[in-house]
Amino acid sequence: MSQRGNIPILRVGSNLLTTIHIDLHDTIAEAFQEDVLVAIKNTGAKGLVIDITGLEEVDTYVARILADTGRMAALMGAHTILVGMRAEVAATLVRMGFAMDTVETALDVDDGLAMLQARKALGRK
Amino acid sequence: MNRAVPAPRSLSETLKFDARELNSRRTFFQLSDDDLARLKGLRPFAERHMDDVVEDFYRLILSHPEARRFFPDDETIRRVKRLQRDYFLQLFDGVCDLAYVENRLRVGAAHERIGMAPRWYIGAYRHYLAILLDRITADVPDPAEARASYQSMLRLVGFDMSLAIDAYIAANLDTLGRHQAAIRELSTPVIKVHDHILLLPLVGAIDSERAQQIMEAVLLRVIGEKARAIIIDIAGVPVVDTRVADHLLKTTAAVRLVGGKVILTGISAQVARTIVQLGVDISTMYTVAELSEGIELALGLVGKQISTGAT
Repeated sequence: MSQRGNIPILRVGSNLLTTIHIDLHDTIAEAFQEDVLVAIKNTGAKGLVIDITGLEEVDTYVARILADTGRMAALMGAHTILVGMRAEVAATLVRMGFAMDTVETALDVDDGLAMLQARKALGRK
Repeated sequence: MNRAVPAPRSLSETLKFDARELNSRRTFFQLSDDDLARLKGLRPFAERHMDDVVEDFYRLILSHPEARRFFPDDETIRRVKRLQRDYFLQLFDGVCDLAYVENRLRVGAAHERIGMAPRWYIGAYRHYLAILLDRITADVPDPAEARASYQSMLRLVGFDMSLAIDAYIAANLDTLGRHQAAIRELSTPVIKVHDHILLLPLVGAIDSERAQQIMEAVLLRVIGEKARAIIIDIAGVPVVDTRVADHLLKTTAAVRLVGGKVILTGISAQVARTIVQLGVDISTMYTVAELSEGIELALGLVGKQISTGAT
C-alpha cells in the first residue's frame, strides 16, 4: 500500500491493523488519517484496529485525532477499535473529562481483532 | 553483574541534616567554638570521673523498676555502661561536626528501637546533668569557671537531646508511612475470580485520595490480568453520594478505555434511591443488586456460564 505518512497500516484478513509508535502531531496526524481512509477504500476493510501500546502519553489533542479517525472510518464503513491504552493514559484522559465515548476499545490487538470477527459473524456493518 | 550495592543512607541524610542545619541549630543552642574548647579543656576531668559518673548514672536508672526492664541482664548492663563511657568522653572531644551529629542521631534511633520512650531518655539525661553539676562544683575551685563549664555542657547536652528527639520522630514517621502503605494496599484488594474476571470488594468510606488509588490499582490489574470485566462490589461502602458515584463513573470510563468493563454490584435499595434522587446518570455501567448476579454477568461477557450439575 502506498502511504504518505510513516505509520504502517497492515491488512489482516478483512480488517486493518495499525500500530502507532510516534507522537501524532501536526502533519503526521493528517497523513495518518488520510492513509487510513485510503487504505479502507482500497481494501474494502470492514474493521480497523488502532494499537497504541507504544504511546506513553496521549494528550487531548491526540485523543481527539484518534476519535476523529474512528468516526471518519465509520463513515467509510469500517468499525474502529482502539487497543492497548496504558493505565496512566486512561486515568489521565478520564481525569481531564475526555473519556472518548465514541470509540470502542479492547485490551490488546488479539481481543480487538476477535471483536471485529464477532461483529462480522453477527452480520453487522 | 558488577553493580555496587548502594551504601545505606545515613540518618543525617534521611533527616536532611546538612552543614546549614548544623550551623543553624548550633546557633539556636548557643553552642559556640568557645564552648567546645572549654569542654575539650575539661577532658582530664572527664577521664577522671568517667567510671564513677557512669556507675552513679546506672544506679539511679536501675533502681527504677520500669526503667530497669530495658536492661534485662548483667551482660546488657556491662555493654551499655561501656557505650555510656564512650558517649560521656565524646562530650569532651571539643568536636561538633556532621559526624558527631550522625553519631548522636544513631543514639536516638537505638533508644527508639529498644522501645525506650523519650521520657526515660530525658529523665536519665536530667540525672546525668545533676551528677555532672556535683562533680564540676567539687572539682573546679573558681565558681565562675565551674558555672561556665556547666553552661557549656548544658548547651551540648541540649543539642544532643534535640538530635535524639529528631531521630525518635523520624523513626515513628517511618513506621507510620509503612502502615499507611499497608492500609493503602489493603484498601484495594483486587481478586481474580476467573480467567479475565476480577473482583474488587470495596469496604469503608471512599474519599478522593482513595478513589484515585482505586482507579490506578484497578487499571493496572485489568491490564496485567487481561481482564474483560471487573466486578466492583459496593455493599460495604456506607455512603454513596454524588462524589462517590462520580468516582465510580470515572473508574468505569477509564477501565473502558483500556478495554475492560466494570460491573457494579451490591447496590442496596437505599443506594439505588440516593443515586436516582441525586440525578446521577450511571446508565454507562452494568449494575446488578447481588454479587452472584455480577459474577454470572461477567462470565457471560467472556462467553461462559454457570450450569447446574446433575444431582
